[in-house]
Amino acid sequence: MIGAVRALKPQQIAAAAFRLREIGIVMALGVAVVFFWIRAPNFMTVGNWQDIAKDVAIVVVVAVGETMVVLTRNIDLSVGSIVGLSAYICADVYADHNGAPMVLIALLAVGVGCGLGVVNGLLVVVARIPAIIATLATLSIYRGLSFEITHGEQISAFQLPDSFLNLASTKQLGLPTLAWFAVVVAIVGSAFLRWTRWGRDFYAIGSNPEAARFAGIPAGRRVILAFTLSGALAGLGGFLWAARFPNVDAVAATDFELDVITAVVIGGVNVFGGSGTILGVVLGAVLVATIQDGFTLLRLSEFWKMFFNGAAIVVAVTIDALVTRRLQDALRRRRAEVLAARHAEAQAAARAEGSP
Amino acid sequence: MKRLLLHLLFRWELLLVVAIVGVSIWSAHLSPFFFTRVNLLDLATPYVFIGLLAFGLTFVVIAGEIDISVVSTLAVSVVTFAQLFDHGVNVWVAAVGGLAVATGLGLVNGALVGILNLPSLAVTLGTLAAYQGLAFVILSGEGVATFPQNYLNIGGGYIRNELPIALVVLLGAALVLGILLHATRFGRYVYAIGSNREAARLSGVPASRVRVTVFMLSGFMAGVAGMTYVGFFGSARADAGQGSLLDVVTAVVLGGVDIFGGSGSMLGVLLALILVAVLRNGMQLANLGGDTQNIVIGCLLLAAIIAGNLIRAAQAGAIKPALLRLRRRGVIRTDDAPAAAVAAEFESQTPKGR
Amino acid sequence: MHKTKLGILGVVSLAAVLVLGLTAGAGSARPTKGHKIFFLPKLIGVNVFTENGKGAKEAAAKLGESVTYNGPTEAVAAKQVPFIDAAARQGYNAIVISANDPNAVAPALKRAQQRGLKVISYDGDVRKDARTIFVSPPKASDIGAFQVEWMGAQIGYRGQIAIVSATPTAANQNTWIKFMKQTLKKPKYKRMKLVKVAYGNDNPTDSAKETQALLRAYPNLKGIIAPTTVGISSAAQVLDQSRKCKAVALTGLGLPNQMRKYVKKGCAKRFGLWNERDFGYLATYVASLVLDGKLSGKLGQSFTAGRLGKRTVVKSDGNSPVVVLGKPLVFTRANIDKYNF
Repeated sequence: MIGAVRALKPQQIAAAAFRLREIGIVMALGVAVVFFWIRAPNFMTVGNWQDIAKDVAIVVVVAVGETMVVLTRNIDLSVGSIVGLSAYICADVYADHNGAPMVLIALLAVGVGCGLGVVNGLLVVVARIPAIIATLATLSIYRGLSFEITHGEQISAFQLPDSFLNLASTKQLGLPTLAWFAVVVAIVGSAFLRWTRWGRDFYAIGSNPEAARFAGIPAGRRVILAFTLSGALAGLGGFLWAARFPNVDAVAATDFELDVITAVVIGGVNVFGGSGTILGVVLGAVLVATIQDGFTLLRLSEFWKMFFNGAAIVVAVTIDALVTRRLQDALRRRRAEVLAARHAEAQAAARAEGSP
Repeated sequence: MKRLLLHLLFRWELLLVVAIVGVSIWSAHLSPFFFTRVNLLDLATPYVFIGLLAFGLTFVVIAGEIDISVVSTLAVSVVTFAQLFDHGVNVWVAAVGGLAVATGLGLVNGALVGILNLPSLAVTLGTLAAYQGLAFVILSGEGVATFPQNYLNIGGGYIRNELPIALVVLLGAALVLGILLHATRFGRYVYAIGSNREAARLSGVPASRVRVTVFMLSGFMAGVAGMTYVGFFGSARADAGQGSLLDVVTAVVLGGVDIFGGSGSMLGVLLALILVAVLRNGMQLANLGGDTQNIVIGCLLLAAIIAGNLIRAAQAGAIKPALLRLRRRGVIRTDDAPAAAVAAEFESQTPKGR
Repeated sequence: MHKTKLGILGVVSLAAVLVLGLTAGAGSARPTKGHKIFFLPKLIGVNVFTENGKGAKEAAAKLGESVTYNGPTEAVAAKQVPFIDAAARQGYNAIVISANDPNAVAPALKRAQQRGLKVISYDGDVRKDARTIFVSPPKASDIGAFQVEWMGAQIGYRGQIAIVSATPTAANQNTWIKFMKQTLKKPKYKRMKLVKVAYGNDNPTDSAKETQALLRAYPNLKGIIAPTTVGISSAAQVLDQSRKCKAVALTGLGLPNQMRKYVKKGCAKRFGLWNERDFGYLATYVASLVLDGKLSGKLGQSFTAGRLGKRTVVKSDGNSPVVVLGKPLVFTRANIDKYNF
């Protein structure tokens, strides 16, 4: 394989190096689609793909936020609890004020998530608690808060206005409304990471915290921002969750963080920070949802799905460490070689011309 | 003198003992039944399996890694044991089977982290889900509940109707593992790797082998915890131990084990476990709901780390200068350097004598 | 340095055992007016059990007993055990429990019985040797048979059906499902085929996901039976959301308030339940009478359960001894507005 790499042209190499991971996911997705198309009844129907889109939507919204945190070499395990808490608060407010404007409720959800995310950020940055421990603790604390708020009751779907519930059953231009939320969030998130100073700083902090600090990046503030964004998007996710699963109780979205992190890891985001793309995460989420949907159609036990989630994470991490990185390094080296050779040629030519 | 006092008073294990006494007094205030022999001896019994998990995890954390799949490993060992027994295997042999499977799962973790050098957080996050799914695949549904009484005694029986056997198991494990950690060469290797893996490797410590071993040990202890769990509950199901990860991690961190590796003691973890047990028991007396209790334990976990950070900073005399720096620049370090490094850096710049 | 720590570890272990052993303090029980009853549902936070609790408190007030209502936040048997142990050690006289798993809680209940507590089970039964009396809602065979009939009437007695249950280990669910299967063997229901039993774990999200999975995996599904209030309300919501109310019939056990909107929309034309508050009321009454020695679980004993009237201890469906609440209530569009719970 390394030999084949040597034969590529520089432009091709550059493109391949940066898109290698996404290509891998797309290939896996292709294999999965073909497999289920043949084996599973009703897989290739519009209805089924719309179901998949709805499943993926909420995962993508929250995963975009999680990606920001992971890029900075941290992790946020509390997103599931934030989604649950936010979902309940949305439902609760709606139950008492059926006529409230949807935008307001959505902003409330985002606000709640922001607050919880800021707490996470402060714990990691100011109190210097490692992110895995801090968010493991807040996972339980926020979930406990859900129970405190619910007082042991649940909100039932009939208490919520139809306009809100319709978010989960209507389609715009053929795509479920929920999926549109995911599309917008993914595009905005991607733009943020690529084109704003803050976004680029996330990558820098994750790649090399020391260098980032010396370059003058206020790492502390950026990390708090990352956790805040993760919380905010989890809050939005909670709003969507309440629309999709309107019988909300205190255990809503338990273990959801696993689905989110699976999408992020499969999507190629490096657990050590510093690299990964939103596109990859979206593709990762789609891949996972597709395979799980395929399992459902094949009537496989749901427990195999859980096993598959975990195995997929392990496989993705292994492949990344062993194969992808080596290939990427080889590709970058090759590109550097070719560019250096070109540069030398150009210099030689200039010298030849310049001194007759 | 101040240094010596700090060193003695802030001895972590002593703090834990004080905390245990404090919580006990609070519990006694809540209920006259607290200081009865029956209650005191019994209150740790439901948490023995958590303690066993924590003891195994301690080795992994001291070695500088993390293993969040321990609860899932427990579940797999429980269901394997149950299926073997249900298919006619002698209960003790089946228990050994469960232990073997658990150790094997630990070996998988160890191979991925120790040999392939994959990040332990990502790996054990994956195996957490994979093993849990595996547990449900092996034994979905009702569970097995027909274990013979003499087996059940391990988790639920009493010596002379008073002393819970589970408590003996807990203390025995603490002792044996404590010896392993503090008094053998293997234990020293574990500390060495946790402090500075490269230096340890260069000094001749077989780093890969030790890392594989600590994960196997963690898996093995998950198996032991599983066998005790079945003894206590009398029934084996695939969701065994679900929700216990918080308590396990709290016991380890609260026990003074540095999450970055390199330091900690088995005694601390044992005391921390007792503190968690007494605290949960007290909250139960106060009729607090399970999830409110989780809020408290979660806060305790955070407080433990913050306290540890502060104490280490105080011992290095670095609190005031650190606060000054914070205020001055608004830049806070987010990489992994412990407070001591901050102190060292600062001290190298200030004249001696305070 | 390490050896010191080791030594301390050993000493502490010994000391712990010794000191605790020597602590002979016997806590004197505070004198209580009436008995202390611990009411332990499968989980808290679900309307059905909250209603049970209200009924329990009502009965206790009437009888002069005190009731503590508490339980775990997930339908997991292992999480009920600390509550049982706490009740046993804190001077309670009786435990009224709806168990998530008849076997997993049995050792703890027996420990409690050894300390003199009486155990009454209701709703989710436990192993027979771990309780005195089981309080059942309608007879299990009735519950099973009725739900099959309600389903059959809606789908013309033919087609694929599925069950969305609660947890796989709950004794009452499994008993009802057993009777449903038995009923399906009868000639009248021969053309109805049970294709799957899914488990929603008394969790709205899981129940919704299970229902969605059923609809995808079995596109020809004609009906869903959900013998759990969490399951039926989630299934109704899913059917409504995916506009499948006309195609797939729904029945089971549900709370009128939760299901009212769906009944009026035609999503669940006929389903049933019993009065959950009365259920808790009855269970507490039984506990109180057992504590007073007036009920011992002997077959044929009868008593008056406050405002519910006369009841008898019977042997029912192999769950002897049992006290039965009554016949199930049936809800349809016509009468649903009459009920408020």
